[in-house]
Amino acid sequence: MHEYAFFLGCIAPNRYPGCEAAAIKTSEKVGIKLLPLKGASCCPAPGAFGSIDLNVWYAMAARNVCLAEEMKKDITLICNGCYKSIYEVNHILKHNDDLKDRVNEVLAEIDMEFKGSQDVWHLAELYYDPKICGVQKIRDSVTTPLTGAKVAVHYGCHLMKPQKERHFGDTENPMWLEELVDALGCESVQYRNKMQCCGAGGGVRGYDITHSLDITNEKMINLQEVGADALTEVCPFCQLQFDRGQIEIQETFGVSYGLPILHYNELLGLAQGMSPQDLALDLHGIDCTPFLKKVL
Amino acid sequence: MAEKEEARVGVFICHCGTNIAGSIDIMDAVEYAKTIPNVAYADQYQYMCSTPGQGKIVEAIKEHNLTGIVVAACSPRLHEPTFRVATKEGGLNPFRFEMANIREQNSWVHMHDKESATAKAKDAIKIAVAKAALLEDLIPKSVPVEHAALVVGAGVGGIQASLDLASAGIKTYLIEKWPTVGGRMSQLDKTFPTLDCSQCILTPKMVDVGRHPNIELMTYCEIEKVEGYIGNFDITIRKKARGVLSPDEATARGIVGGGCNGCGDCAEVCPVIKPNPFEMGMAPRKAIYIYHAQVMPLLYTVDFDACVKCGLCVDACGDKKAIDLEMEDEFITLKIGTAIIATGYNLMPIENKREWGYKQFDNVITGLEFERLICASGPTGGHLIRPSDGETPKSVGFILCAGSRDNTGNGKPYCSRFCCMYSLKHAHQIMEKIPGTKVYLFYMDIRSFGKMYEEFYYRIQSEGAKFIRGRVANVLEDPQTRNLYVRAEDTLLGRPVEVECDLVVLAAAVQPVDEEDVIRKHFGVSKSQDGWMLEAHPKLNPCGTTTAGVFLAGVCQGPKDIPDTVAQAEGAASAASIPIHIGQVELEPYFAQCMEELCAGCGMCIDLCPYQALALVDRSDGSGRKVMSVTEAKCKGCGTCGGFCPGGAIKMQHFTSPQIHAQIDAFLCGGEQ
Amino acid sequence: MADEWNPKILAIICNWCSYAGADLAGGARIQYPSDVRTIRVMCTGRIDMLFIMKAFANGADGVLVSGCHFGDCHYLAGNFKAAKRMFMVKNVLKNLGLEDKRFRMTFVSASEGAKWATVISDVVKTVNELGPSPIAEFKK
Ligand code: FES
Repeated sequence: MHEYAFFLGCIAPNRYPGCEAAAIKTSEKVGIKLLPLKGASCCPAPGAFGSIDLNVWYAMAARNVCLAEEMKKDITLICNGCYKSIYEVNHILKHNDDLKDRVNEVLAEIDMEFKGSQDVWHLAELYYDPKICGVQKIRDSVTTPLTGAKVAVHYGCHLMKPQKERHFGDTENPMWLEELVDALGCESVQYRNKMQCCGAGGGVRGYDITHSLDITNEKMINLQEVGADALTEVCPFCQLQFDRGQIEIQETFGVSYGLPILHYNELLGLAQGMSPQDLALDLHGIDCTPFLKKVL
Repeated sequence: MAEKEEARVGVFICHCGTNIAGSIDIMDAVEYAKTIPNVAYADQYQYMCSTPGQGKIVEAIKEHNLTGIVVAACSPRLHEPTFRVATKEGGLNPFRFEMANIREQNSWVHMHDKESATAKAKDAIKIAVAKAALLEDLIPKSVPVEHAALVVGAGVGGIQASLDLASAGIKTYLIEKWPTVGGRMSQLDKTFPTLDCSQCILTPKMVDVGRHPNIELMTYCEIEKVEGYIGNFDITIRKKARGVLSPDEATARGIVGGGCNGCGDCAEVCPVIKPNPFEMGMAPRKAIYIYHAQVMPLLYTVDFDACVKCGLCVDACGDKKAIDLEMEDEFITLKIGTAIIATGYNLMPIENKREWGYKQFDNVITGLEFERLICASGPTGGHLIRPSDGETPKSVGFILCAGSRDNTGNGKPYCSRFCCMYSLKHAHQIMEKIPGTKVYLFYMDIRSFGKMYEEFYYRIQSEGAKFIRGRVANVLEDPQTRNLYVRAEDTLLGRPVEVECDLVVLAAAVQPVDEEDVIRKHFGVSKSQDGWMLEAHPKLNPCGTTTAGVFLAGVCQGPKDIPDTVAQAEGAASAASIPIHIGQVELEPYFAQCMEELCAGCGMCIDLCPYQALALVDRSDGSGRKVMSVTEAKCKGCGTCGGFCPGGAIKMQHFTSPQIHAQIDAFLCGGEQ
Repeated sequence: MADEWNPKILAIICNWCSYAGADLAGGARIQYPSDVRTIRVMCTGRIDMLFIMKAFANGADGVLVSGCHFGDCHYLAGNFKAAKRMFMVKNVLKNLGLEDKRFRMTFVSASEGAKWATVISDVVKTVNELGPSPIAEFKK
């Protein structure tokens, strides 16, 4: 068992509790144990905090890392926004002693110190990493293969970019999530402009909802073009935008797509035999039944 | 100590204006220098390298009867030669000079800490004095220079350099890996900003190299091995099996009146079809081929990787008997005095930048492909078409800085320097050939720095090309129409734009040719940070390299357009001809020497020497035991043998063990007063 | 000198790459700590193990050897042959009970001025952390 401190984030537990349940249960089956990161705060959201006061962003994220340092465990998480904040701050502070000193001055007020001793991983990359889990282990853990469905993949910007501060290599046409999807028995499909933003991130959703929906709408058109049965992603915020966003698109533009949106963990949960109720799929904005009918 | 005479060292400290004096207390250092053992005289001056500064050295040698000189100033890589001359003028052997670097490695890097910079300078002077006290007279060896030169690469740079050398009366070997000379320039249609046809101005030069009596043209050849040193390089060339005999070669084989005359009958019957790399793979060629009609020399070449040896071509060739399908690679050795490297460039594999869709979408092409498509002698006869359906494009997008000025780690951080201009030229060519076509140039900055370039830029603007300042985020294809959507942020208007284009041309970044590293290492030339070859000095010696006798021309040293390449080629030719015309060069006398009384004849050093300069010979005392002996002309003075000799029997002149030990002692023992 | 200790660090570097790289750092005015003194040799291949041992015996707190990258040596492979010897130096130091971190071999090319500055800063930092060489202390 590889043990990690599990940073939950805000959107998953509040909007899509299924994601949280799925993450904990599915990871256990492939040899990853998620330990609760007690006392964690908001990551804090990179767009909302980072664009207003970087120092607050650094300090809060560093505090979350400190909690993991106390546990002597690396952090893992299931949200791209959290990844951006915590991974990036950890990375920046490790490489910038001046900044680290400044952040530590702030943290000293609550008797904490950022040491830079732990790393931060997205759960999806742990799934893909053959040293930790690997595609084969995922394939072996499947009890109900999701055959017969075409599933498109959305990576999300904060996961992959900025390229220089990530370690995924090709950020323009990555294929590793597809491999993970194919391992579940369904068929991953390619679509136009795969790497386009979901429309939500960086505060766009909060600032200009119509523009944000515009982007989502284009994404939906591209997905419809290739006949995807569902879209999977690794970020509850992207999920929120695609899922609730479709309802908003219908209200604003009058088009409806009805495309089920599932977090990769939810998909994995289904494949490992978890029931839709366990995954709280009924809380999704878009009805998942057509997809479920196809695969179960 | 090893010296019989008592060492009397003179120390001269340079202010270099405020370059040194700004961070180092010169007077303090002078006072300190006077206290160092063996120092007979110490002084300072504003600019030691100036005539009065050097005069001080000359005078002091005479007046104070000095045996060694130390100048504390800039880097010995800059002014060691200067001060050696001054030392010589004063009547000392020029090698009785040692430099303390207190500028590049001191005042410039410790600008804000005068105290420790001064302390460091004092130590540097002390170390230099310790060495100077032990320096010995050395006599440089003069070697004759072979009256021949080598030029590697027959693009426009290599061609120009060869013509210059040959016209100066020097036997010149021009070697090229392609079957023809001409290089990249021969692939171009027009040249900016004059718009004259590239082939028209290049072909006469190509013909000239072919018939110049002093030039020996060796196409389809590669460098196999380089040995020797300035004046006496031994070069081994691999003459790749061409499968076709030139008329001369045929005569040598006794085939009278035979050999290839370029008739092309062979290619007509050849059944194997391959893409022609000269046309960027957009036109076919046979397994026996020429690149294009104007090749120089006009000789067909067999591609033995593709050839099925059916023999049809041999029959078609008939009595000329020019084709030999059993030909094998040959090795030729050349003796030359100096060499010029002019290996040019490749385009970077722009498909790595997936966002622009090269190799995913048919209608995304590179600038070089565009040149072939618009060229009258190209695969389409000069009709610009889009690859997906052969239609004439009605709107064309150009993406500039494709992979250049790119710090993502997936591109090149440098500016490729000629893409702006050729893209402007492309824009002009389209608007001229296909009136009404819309042209969009997506740029970061337009760098039109050359003579008449800015004027050309204005001209293209006024002709109606649209300039959009913004780096392209991605290119998408409409699967039905195969049209492309180019997305960027217009940074002048501050808003995103999306333009529909029929054809997208990427001005891809350039990078060194694949073989560059191999060639570079053959000649011992260093590489700069960006991957191009490193010149000896970026400002004052842009053609030279750190290997004496090896020079650079053209893009292999860094991206350049045609005028700059030709200019540098002429510069390199002139530099390369100097030693040849003088007829001899002096080699630095840093040879290894064997101290027979210490040498046990173990022979460990023999294998360590990279130049086979060492051998075991019989001891001169007739004892029958062996000792090592050095062939001085082969020794380049690296000291690898001396660093290893277990008996300490090898004396590396000018870097002897006693000298280095003295330097170490000077730094670490009996220092601070 | 008892009040403040400044490390004594010796660098022996090759003329073609590291020395040129150090000059480049100067040209670019990249600032770095001033505790290192350099001795220039034509190639790292010239460096006898005894030079390094002598420096330590004389009380050096650290020694740095720097040359061209592998494959870039002006004399083909002098750095390679030197590197082999430098491993031996490390072993000898360990056997003598001296921290082998006090000795380091690096590869800095003629175009890596910035790298030279980082290397020096790093060496100085390491030696500062280790403190004065026990041999130097003993000699007092
Ligand atoms: S010349 Fe630099 S290591 Fe040999």
